[in-house]
Amino acid sequence: MKKQKKQLLYPYFLIVPTLVSCIIFKFYPFLKTILSSFSVTDQFGAWIGWAGTTFWEMMFADDAFWQTLVTTLKYALITFVGTFVIAMILAMLSTKHTKLGKVSQMLYALPIAIAHSTSSVIFLFVFKGEGGLLNSWLGTDIAWLTKADTAFWAVAVVTVWTHISGSFLYLLAGFRGVSEDILEAAIVDGANSFTRAVKIMIPMASPQIFYVLFLNIISALGVFTQVKLLTGGGPSGATTSLMYEIYLRAVKFGEYEYACCVSIVTFLIIFVFTRIQFAFEKKMVYYQ
Amino acid sequence: MKIKAMMFDIFKVLIGIAMVSPVIIALIVSFMPKADIMTSPFELTLVHATFQNYIEAFKYLNLGIYLKNTAVMLIICLPAQLLTALLAAYAFSHFEFPFKEALFTILLAVMMIPGETIMVTVFKMISGWKLIDTYAALTITSLTNVGAVFMFRQYMKSLPKELWEAATMDGCGYNAYFGYILVPLCKTMIVTFSLRTFVTIYNSYFWPFLVTTKDSMRTVTTGVALISSTSHSGLTLAAAITTSVIPLIVYAFGMDKIVEGMTAGAVKS
Repeated sequence: MKKQKKQLLYPYFLIVPTLVSCIIFKFYPFLKTILSSFSVTDQFGAWIGWAGTTFWEMMFADDAFWQTLVTTLKYALITFVGTFVIAMILAMLSTKHTKLGKVSQMLYALPIAIAHSTSSVIFLFVFKGEGGLLNSWLGTDIAWLTKADTAFWAVAVVTVWTHISGSFLYLLAGFRGVSEDILEAAIVDGANSFTRAVKIMIPMASPQIFYVLFLNIISALGVFTQVKLLTGGGPSGATTSLMYEIYLRAVKFGEYEYACCVSIVTFLIIFVFTRIQFAFEKKMVYYQ
Repeated sequence: MKIKAMMFDIFKVLIGIAMVSPVIIALIVSFMPKADIMTSPFELTLVHATFQNYIEAFKYLNLGIYLKNTAVMLIICLPAQLLTALLAAYAFSHFEFPFKEALFTILLAVMMIPGETIMVTVFKMISGWKLIDTYAALTITSLTNVGAVFMFRQYMKSLPKELWEAATMDGCGYNAYFGYILVPLCKTMIVTFSLRTFVTIYNSYFWPFLVTTKDSMRTVTTGVALISSTSHSGLTLAAAITTSVIPLIVYAFGMDKIVEGMTAGAVKS
């Protein structure tokens, strides 16, 4: 009897560590973030009293918030397009096994191992105004990281650069997975390489393609490290992303409740994209 | 025709070199003496190549301490994630029990909450518990990995049912089955997961940055970022290159396995 009871509980013991950790560090903070956005809290985030929609109204009336939102969506759009186009070209180039193929493939994949913070530190040296590499090569004297438009593009370029390798590897796996038989049959039928790419390779690698597209959008919506290290969100908030705004409000300015509102907006945006991804996956993607 | 193919091959390598050029530039600058880096206009040259930056990086910066802190994070989080994920996957793939579906749905829902969006609340909790600048703060939030639970569960479900039936019929206990049969069968996936998670933890920045304020608690990524604001470029880039060597080696040796794992986890049929 005792043994049977122990056996009954056995699977629960196996799940307990994961479940407890999820409840403490995922569910509870998630609910608390929502609650706190409608509350007043002390310096440790403990609940003091209700604030109603004060902080939400404050956020929606704040031009800085809208600017941050637009900037982040622009980052996501640029990362989405830029990374995809470049990774697609690289993956197409690498599909066939060639003599030096391993070398070029290794080079395309290398940046994936470099931390975003390290890439930012390296690009800082390229972009910085005084003694920076770009200025010395172009013979210019431009403060790339402190002018609104160039600073924005600097962050975008680094974000794209850090995302290319991962996307490349996914896409390459997708293209390599297309069966040789189908491709040979297409060649026999007289399909040229362009037709093969558009009519066979891309449709058959569509699971990987969709995955990469959404992975990049969702990842770019959470951009923080590059902003923190390259521009510090400046000049006057021109490069601030949602994540950086959350950090500034909660940690630097002690406006935790406001940060919670921005967090929930970020969550909702990412959630919408995730739902679209699922819907697309179910409907359009070709699975073998 | 052959020459054309060869040219194309070389062209592809050239594109690759262009792609990694920031790293190559960083590598060159890290070997340049301070005087050469400071000259204006700046010139990328190795005529005065020196190890000075690397020597100074280890002597005057706390690179060793940063590496130790990152190592502590890895030693605690990686095995913890692996073990908890394998155990949970075992439960969801091999047992029937009340509320199984409900519990599984809860974990599914967790995957829908991006870590970043609850980061500040978790940060407030950690600072409320007075854990800032401790190893507990660095590790406690990454002891489990729900994505890995799904990955391992998927694989365990694909194993032949007969194996489980035969083993339990012969009196093999649940623990013994897990330790002697299941885990060895998952070996390839475990290696893949470990390689990838190693780099993910090693390269993580946001969370270690939030919960550490003392230099002695900085990890590799947060430490190097800190160096960049106070030191000259040669020193900074020497530190950046030094700390990138470890994840680069992991990728160089495990590339095929990592790619396999990435795609297996990403696209489910």
